[in-house]
Amino acid sequence: MNHVVTLTGVTKKYGELTALDDVSLGFPRGRFTAVMGPSGSGKSTLIQCAAALDTPTSGSVAIGGVDVGTLNETKRTELRRAHIGFVFQSYNLLPAITVEENLTLTLRLAGRKPDLAWIRMLVERVGLHDRLRHRPGELSGGQQQRAAIVRALAGRPDVLFADEPTGALDLRSASQVLDLLRSMVDDLGQTVVMVTHDPAAAARAHDALIMADGRLVDVLPAPSAEDLAARLTRLAGRPVAAAGGAL
Amino acid sequence: MIRTALAMSGLGGLVVAFFAVLGGMALITGSGVIVESGLRSSLEGSRLAAADVLVSAPQSVRGGEGGLPVGLPERAVVPASLIAELSQVAGVASAAGDVTFPAALVGAEAAATGDGHGWASAVLAGGAVLDGRAPRAAEEIVVSKTHAVRPGADVEVIAAGKRGTYRVTGVVDAPGLYFADRVALDLADRTAGQRAGTVDIVALRAAPGTDAGALAQAVRKRIGDGYEISTGSAKGDAESPGTAAARTLLIALPSSVGGLSLLIVGFVVGGGISLSITRQRRDLALLRAAGATPRQVRKLVAAQGMAAALAALIPGAAAGYLMAAHFGDLLVHVGMLPANMPLTYSPIPAVAAAPLLLGVVRVSAFATSISASRMPAVAAVRDSAGEPRTPSAVRYKSGLLIILASLLISSLPLFIRGEIAAVGPGVAALLSVIGLALAGPRLVQSATGLLARHLPARVPASVWLAVANTRGYALRTAGAVAALGMVVTLATSVALTHFTILQATADETAETLKADAAVTAPAYGGIPHGLLDDVRRTPGVTAAVATSTTVVASRSLAVGDDGDNLVSRTAMVLGPDAGELVDLGVGAGSLADLKGATIALDERAGEVGERYDLVLGDGAAVKARVVATYSRALGLGPVVLSRDLVAGHTTTGLDSTILVRTDGDRSGLERLTARWPGVDVAAGSPSPQAGETSAQLWINIAVLAVLLGYVLVSVANRLVATIASRGAELTAVKRLGSTPRQLTAMIRWEALIIALTASLAGLAMSVVPLLLLSVGFLGRPWPAGPLWVAPAAMATVCAVVWLAYELTARRLIRHA
Ligand SMILES: Nc1ncnc2c1ncn2[C@@H]1O[C@H](COP(=O)(O)OP(=O)(O)OP(=O)(O)O)[C@@H](O)[C@H]1O
Ligand SMILES: [Mg+2]
Repeated sequence: MNHVVTLTGVTKKYGELTALDDVSLGFPRGRFTAVMGPSGSGKSTLIQCAAALDTPTSGSVAIGGVDVGTLNETKRTELRRAHIGFVFQSYNLLPAITVEENLTLTLRLAGRKPDLAWIRMLVERVGLHDRLRHRPGELSGGQQQRAAIVRALAGRPDVLFADEPTGALDLRSASQVLDLLRSMVDDLGQTVVMVTHDPAAAARAHDALIMADGRLVDVLPAPSAEDLAARLTRLAGRPVAAAGGAL
Repeated sequence: MIRTALAMSGLGGLVVAFFAVLGGMALITGSGVIVESGLRSSLEGSRLAAADVLVSAPQSVRGGEGGLPVGLPERAVVPASLIAELSQVAGVASAAGDVTFPAALVGAEAAATGDGHGWASAVLAGGAVLDGRAPRAAEEIVVSKTHAVRPGADVEVIAAGKRGTYRVTGVVDAPGLYFADRVALDLADRTAGQRAGTVDIVALRAAPGTDAGALAQAVRKRIGDGYEISTGSAKGDAESPGTAAARTLLIALPSSVGGLSLLIVGFVVGGGISLSITRQRRDLALLRAAGATPRQVRKLVAAQGMAAALAALIPGAAAGYLMAAHFGDLLVHVGMLPANMPLTYSPIPAVAAAPLLLGVVRVSAFATSISASRMPAVAAVRDSAGEPRTPSAVRYKSGLLIILASLLISSLPLFIRGEIAAVGPGVAALLSVIGLALAGPRLVQSATGLLARHLPARVPASVWLAVANTRGYALRTAGAVAALGMVVTLATSVALTHFTILQATADETAETLKADAAVTAPAYGGIPHGLLDDVRRTPGVTAAVATSTTVVASRSLAVGDDGDNLVSRTAMVLGPDAGELVDLGVGAGSLADLKGATIALDERAGEVGERYDLVLGDGAAVKARVVATYSRALGLGPVVLSRDLVAGHTTTGLDSTILVRTDGDRSGLERLTARWPGVDVAAGSPSPQAGETSAQLWINIAVLAVLLGYVLVSVANRLVATIASRGAELTAVKRLGSTPRQLTAMIRWEALIIALTASLAGLAMSVVPLLLLSVGFLGRPWPAGPLWVAPAAMATVCAVVWLAYELTARRLIRHA
């Protein structure tokens, strides 16, 4: 299968703590993948490594066929700017500039001319058109989240990673965002990887990856919200000591 | 727990506060030592070592209602009748009068002035006759063993200006020349005229078993408070009449530079505290969100500032004492402090400085935390991510008002041409920098906003980000710009102000004094009698005028004098013949009338015919009639005294300088030294205030250097702390796709923008005051002196910014 990003034997340690433990997987082009798992299971670490925002302790990550480990920081940044959009769990909007300036910042850094029509379309789809001249601090959490999504998509990346993009949103906004993501995938063949705690959100994806204790413990194709909820409840209820045995 | 954690997180900022307080403490303690020394130090060694109690006249007058005493340097005398009266006091073994007058062997190697006294003083000085006997007749003299003359020899002596031949009758183990008591009184002019029947000091020896302190008490009881009665280490003051004046100077000195220093200390300490608080905004906001009341937050902030300040107090005080010692050496070096007058070191200056600084810290901590602590908790958290978008309007307007006020102050030199104008430009420039610090955030926003709008669309992202950052963090930018601008302002405006006034004074002195040579006789304590006539008879000399300077105290003679209080200043003493060589630009009256109790005045200070109350250099209050008014007040000062007026009111009674005009041939003058060995002939005409002005200049340069160092260190600290706190911000930019190179470029652009803005702002704040000063004093729009200080200061600012950014940012970017 054609993978945009491939991880091979990726391990990430923070001192004694192993946040990712020998994970190998690929994100197929044109598909919507959800990543689920208990808090602290390594979801954010996984997609940050996959997006070349972080470097694994061991193992390799390839983006568009290029092994990220062989690149220096500058090359890695350039590769990331060319291929990847990232929505941070904590938005990561710069407080000193306006929302509008935030949206085009990555493109500006890449020296690329922003496609204004495209960005205007995104902005309208998430309903931010009247907040563009404000500073991020003057937006609600949900609005900031949506601005972060627009910024990540502004450069038409090969793959969009989103860390809990609906975490701060009310039901309506959340479904707007999910509609947007899904339509990106369906209409434009956009690859999307989304971390979420919400089984209903994950149910909009093509596949769901389940993480626990830094390992990939399950892959559920075409998951239903009920299946996911049940699967997660089992994970949560499972005694920690038995984790190794379960795999 | 929370406290320590927070304090740790704000450590970078607190370091800034720490150093700001340390420097401020050093400055204020140092000034305090100088003031205290003026009040309490005592001269080392005493000439009249064998005397137990000295009775002399006060060398200062009360400055007026609540004013400081004004020290006067010319010897004030006491009636000789005191000798007889005091010998009646119980416990007095002997009482003797002491007089001092300049006396030196003609042609002796001794370059410095020697002193002459009556024989009674030799005994009081503990002098033992080594060889020969006491002087008895009019032509007899006893010399010190340092003179290397044997008894029986004839020596030529100039004593109190009178030249004569004396027979050496003895050699004594005490410094100076000793005459028979009657002869000494005669030479010192105590047998006729103004000072008839007086002596300088009455020296008492206590009867065996009588304590000097007790004797002093008894004497005070007898003669009252009108005299100085000194014992022990205080005797030195009585022996050197100039000491009181030196004390006044010590006390006045810090207050003249004090305004400047206090402004700077307040600015730096306030800035340091506010920076350390601003750095913790987010923590404080979260604390608010977690349930802390505004009061708790303010208390926490104050406690942190206080902790940093308290830690800085002791090292700061130590540095202050050290600095005062060096400053004392400088004062001795430039001749403003007697070498044998050591500074006094006591804990008092430090104890006094500490609450002052803690107060500044307290106030600035309160002022900075009030807005953060008052807003609703949620708003505080939201705000803390960046900076408030619209800086406070009150702050902006008060900043503009201060800048406006400083402009008013700087226009002063246009109207007032006098010493006071010198204070204006420096203070005005500093005030405007403080105004800039207040109005800055908004100014920065508009300026960078303008810049941002006019940036070409294809400008590199790093440049765009740098501009966006300076604009988005306007508070941060303005703080750095103002602090750095202060370096430029301080160096440029304060230094050039002094040089400009110096230049103007020198120019005007040159216009006033039409002499091309000056004859002085420092070895004889002044111009000996007969020298003036010899000079006038010398071939090539077309005119010669004898002058001297003394000190005169008066109420308000020049603008800026404290209205009701006495102000003392150096004044020139001229005779009615002065007009030949001194062109003061007399508008009304004539210098030829400088006879009797008369003066000439700056035309802005009074009119011909008026009567003026003056206090002469020995404390005598006199009334003098104004006989001329003149326009050139900068060179010789606002008042000129007639020789008759000061006769009998100076220590030596001699002129100090003969101003000479020649037909261009000075060789005749040079030959004068054959008949008058030890006489100096110099080309040009020295300003009577030249010595004082250059000393003042050195002091100002020293103070300026210290202040500059203080501001520079604190600015560098501040920059480092500011940059060091930007880790999260840089990480965010990096995550959004900035390469390390772009981050570095962004930081460099920011540094450049800040360095340039600060340099230009600092320069702009100095330019207006200096321009007005130059127009007022030199009649041209640019100042005198080393103009390179401006580019040098700007280069320094750029270097500091560059260093701070390179060193700090590089590490941050690597770890971002
Ligand atoms: N910078 C770091 N330093 C040390 N440990 C870290 C760091 N980042 C993450 N961890 C640890 O690694 C583990 C995985 O963290 P990660 O953020 O990937 O979890 P997550 O699955 O995203 O959790 P959540 O759903 O709560 O966001 C956690 O135990 C976390 O404490
Ligand atoms: Mg996470």
